[in-house]
Amino acid sequence: MRVDRSVTLSPAMAWVAGLPILGCMMVMSLPALADERVLAFRLFYAVAYLFWIVPLGWLQRWLWRRGAGWWAMAGVLLPVTYAMSVGNALLALTFIASEKMRAQAGVAWIFGGLDGCWLALIAFCGFQAIVLHRAALALEGERLHQAAQAARDAELRALRYQLQPHFLFNTLNAISALVHDDRPRDATRMIARLGDFLRTTLEETPGHEHTVADEIALTAAYLDIEKARLGERLHIETYTAPGTLEARVPYLLLQPLVENAVRHGIAPRTVPGTIAIRFEGDGHELRVSVANDATDVTEGAMGVGLANVRARLEALYPDNHHIVVGPESGRWRVRITLPWVVATTLTEAAA
Amino acid sequence: MIRVAVVDDEPLARSGVLARLRVEPDVTVVGECSDGHGLAALRRDRVDVAIVDVQMPGLNGLDGLAAIPRDERPLAVLLTAHDSFAIRAFELEAVDYLLKPIDDERFAEALERVRRKLGHEVRPVPAERFAIRIGARLSFVEVNAVTWIEADGDYAALHADGQRHLLRESLQELSRKLDPARFLRVHRSAIVRVDQIAEMLPRPNRDAVLRLRDGTTLRASRTYIDALMAALNRVA
Repeated sequence: MRVDRSVTLSPAMAWVAGLPILGCMMVMSLPALADERVLAFRLFYAVAYLFWIVPLGWLQRWLWRRGAGWWAMAGVLLPVTYAMSVGNALLALTFIASEKMRAQAGVAWIFGGLDGCWLALIAFCGFQAIVLHRAALALEGERLHQAAQAARDAELRALRYQLQPHFLFNTLNAISALVHDDRPRDATRMIARLGDFLRTTLEETPGHEHTVADEIALTAAYLDIEKARLGERLHIETYTAPGTLEARVPYLLLQPLVENAVRHGIAPRTVPGTIAIRFEGDGHELRVSVANDATDVTEGAMGVGLANVRARLEALYPDNHHIVVGPESGRWRVRITLPWVVATTLTEAAA
Repeated sequence: MIRVAVVDDEPLARSGVLARLRVEPDVTVVGECSDGHGLAALRRDRVDVAIVDVQMPGLNGLDGLAAIPRDERPLAVLLTAHDSFAIRAFELEAVDYLLKPIDDERFAEALERVRRKLGHEVRPVPAERFAIRIGARLSFVEVNAVTWIEADGDYAALHADGQRHLLRESLQELSRKLDPARFLRVHRSAIVRVDQIAEMLPRPNRDAVLRLRDGTTLRASRTYIDALMAALNRVA
């Protein structure tokens, strides 16, 4: 994966990130506590380390932002840190070392005896490289997450819009039939219901979910239109268990299910039929069921509506929902189980 | 007679209102205007109630009403496509506000509210039982057994003892026959017995959803909420 090099570390944070190495240097110098002179060397190295990591950190971050590869970075940072360490050695030799040490230390000591200094600077560079890389990865992960979220939103919205137009045109068609039939009362009634339904869908919440109460109101507005069409043949029973009205459900969860129940369970029959809508739950899961009287429905006949509900549930609650469709004690029933979420924020907004 | 003025900028919309008023025997139309300025000229001594479209070019319905001095202002029934005027409608003491497209039953209900306001209403003694005709047989349902009543086309369905009884009557006619302290209209399509309400959940748009003691769940629309709240507080 290509990491985004615009991510960087603030100088102060880089400096703080270098402190653990200072801790290591301190621990390594414990055996030197007995010798005052060696202790002075160690302290000098520690201060020099804290000083050098400021320009060193800046240089590394500059290389990182410029997109330098790992080898290029090593090629620049190794000589630079080496030069810094040699500088340290020269300074230490000039200001801290005793006469005897100065006499003993030759070129080899200056260019080779870089214990406790060069390694620490290299370790700092390694440390900073890891931090920068991790920050870039985290940002990338966040972006991927947002992209997935946006794709899911778009999919859900598309699925939602799939539902309404065909229903709208069916209703307009029914109204025009009523006008032809010279039934002005029924026509105006259906137009008023359609107005209510559109108003209800237009006040939609920004998210993909709303409360059971909202879903029931929305479904009822839809069913009013079907009732205007089917009259006394359509009975609706809506049951909610105590406390379920505030639970969250996907927007327009019921409408396609209820529409199927009307199309296949009520409309083809001549006798009145009942559609029973139930919401039950126990604080862990919410159980939704839509049942109608006819049993001779095939799942294939449920078509687009059911596929739409399945797709939306899969997008909203992957691996966390159940949907069972089929005949059950003489009725055709769709049962859905969802995670129980109570919409406190929604009701607060309403208050 | 109730003297009505119809105010709407669209001639077709005006004629829709006029057609609905024509079937009311106790209503006479005394004026028609097409803008807020005509409305602002109306006075209570000539017009009992103005049926006013809110959205009109120039002076809108609300501003037109506000331009009439308060104690000379006729009663007002507002018509609107959007329902975001409830608060101003309340300030102007509108009797009711109706959403377009107009629903016949809601329109009749608004006129009923006007009659009540004007003191023209005749309230019969509350009924004790309903006679249900099934073929040639008559069966009786005690009012006390009814938990809620649902509109069903031109019928009303009484829910009593787990059964559903059809009555050929509109909810509006029924609600006049019932004791207003016990039975309340909560929606264009439902009347409930107040003591059956177990839960009420307000919705973001000021409507509400009601849960009855048997779990039946119904909508309550905002136009009935005030009366409903008053009744529920009485129960407490």
